[in-house]
Amino acid sequence: MNDVIKQEPKNGSNAGKAYQRRTVAPPVDVFENADELLIVADVPGVPNDGIELGVENDTLTLTARRLADGGTTSPALAREYDEVDFAATYRIPAGIDTAAISAETRNGTLVVRLPKAAAARARKIVVRSSSGD
Amino acid sequence: MLTGWRDFEHTLETIDRLQRRMDRAFAGSLAAADPAWTAERRRSRVAWPPTNVFETKEAFVVKAEVPGLAEGDVSVSVEDDALVIRGERKTEVPAGYRVHLRERAPIAFSRKLPLPARVDVGAVTATLKNGLLTVTLPKTREALPRAIAVKAV
Repeated sequence: MNDVIKQEPKNGSNAGKAYQRRTVAPPVDVFENADELLIVADVPGVPNDGIELGVENDTLTLTARRLADGGTTSPALAREYDEVDFAATYRIPAGIDTAAISAETRNGTLVVRLPKAAAARARKIVVRSSSGD
Repeated sequence: MLTGWRDFEHTLETIDRLQRRMDRAFAGSLAAADPAWTAERRRSRVAWPPTNVFETKEAFVVKAEVPGLAEGDVSVSVEDDALVIRGERKTEVPAGYRVHLRERAPIAFSRKLPLPARVDVGAVTATLKNGLLTVTLPKTREALPRAIAVKAV
């Protein structure tokens, strides 16, 4: 019945800390405008403090852990989703100001903003006429 | 009663599996040629939101994954011994943005889950947290297990 989720706590230092869960990449939307890239990911069941984002060189690493769910201890009459954790890595394109990357959670979705570095933003060049015109 | 529920879910699962196989067969032809067709297929997809149902001694607990839904986007009701979850998930492209990748489909949904026992309709509660909908349906007194005293006569 409960073959999907292993509920045995790990041995050693991690004993009792976390359940072994399967990890999958969350579905994402990726948008871009003149100022930033926007990643929107579906991470249902993940609280704000369950999310870890890391930037290393040109790689963005996302880990999202679900809250321990009390309901799973009762017998399931129907099971259409597994209580998975989420993890994914994304390559950050050139021209992103990695120090200014920010993220927020909203109703089980994660919104990551990757602002473009000033030099990479589209700029309009003002054309001046010389005084001799 | 419980068998009935499982059969129902099994049927949905079979339909889902068949649909996926069809999708694979048509991938790259129909879907690629006609984005509207793909959108229509997404709208009519079976079983959204994905739902787990648990039974405790006193209640049924229904959990559904509804990432992106706020309070006003989903309605929950009990109709004819079934739990009905309705709503719409909008995943709009923010104004002024270009799209690079779309994996989160917008979807309007209505699901009817038959309940295997009577529930106390007045005591049903529903909460929404971190994109997870939890509906707790307490069983009626008649549906609770009861020990019958055996008397010697």
